[in-house]
Amino acid sequence: MDSPEVIVVAEPDAEAAPEAPKEGAPAPAEPQGRPLLAVALAWLVPGAGHFYLGRKGRAALFMALVLIMLAVGLVLEGKLWRIVPGQPLSVLGTLGCAGLGIPYFVLRFFTGYEGNLVAQGYEYGAAFIVTGGLMNLLLVLDAWDIARGMKE
Amino acid sequence: MSHFLLMVLYALIVSVFFAILWRRDRRGQVALFLQLFLGMVLGGLAIAWLMYPFPSGPPQPIP
Repeated sequence: MDSPEVIVVAEPDAEAAPEAPKEGAPAPAEPQGRPLLAVALAWLVPGAGHFYLGRKGRAALFMALVLIMLAVGLVLEGKLWRIVPGQPLSVLGTLGCAGLGIPYFVLRFFTGYEGNLVAQGYEYGAAFIVTGGLMNLLLVLDAWDIARGMKE
Repeated sequence: MSHFLLMVLYALIVSVFFAILWRRDRRGQVALFLQLFLGMVLGGLAIAWLMYPFPSGPPQPIP
């Protein structure tokens, strides 16, 4: 009767030198700036995080795109989400809008803007405003990646 | 403003945004922009065409 085969798995040598980067692979970027500050700036003012990290051209474009999205939403008199008790989806909508940072809080608490329920563009405008907020949240994540050196 | 123009404007802004966010080289940005923009506009038209046979019914009064 044959003895059962024993498979020996060699453990990686912890003291071995780290693998050299593969040929052709992009070199990891250097960490830049303070990640938390970049994230805070990126959230509060669209594009400010990228500006802080030295991506000034992209910062200007991102700021313009997010603000155009918001402006179209406002022209259409779209809904600015706020939390409504008993409506769980309103929490998601509010988080999306709050992604706009300072513009959201200015609109909500200083101008009292809510949108116009009977306006033709009420729903369309809401889509533009929420999308602007979500775009800015993606910019926050992008600023974090750049600041940590995980992205150029 | 018509629904179609709003859809095109939305697709335009979102496509430019993601092209700049996800690609660094100009050629890649243009390619991604075209993919996203045409995908959204043509996809929207296709969905609208598929929904055409379904009646929308009379508009409901706002409560």
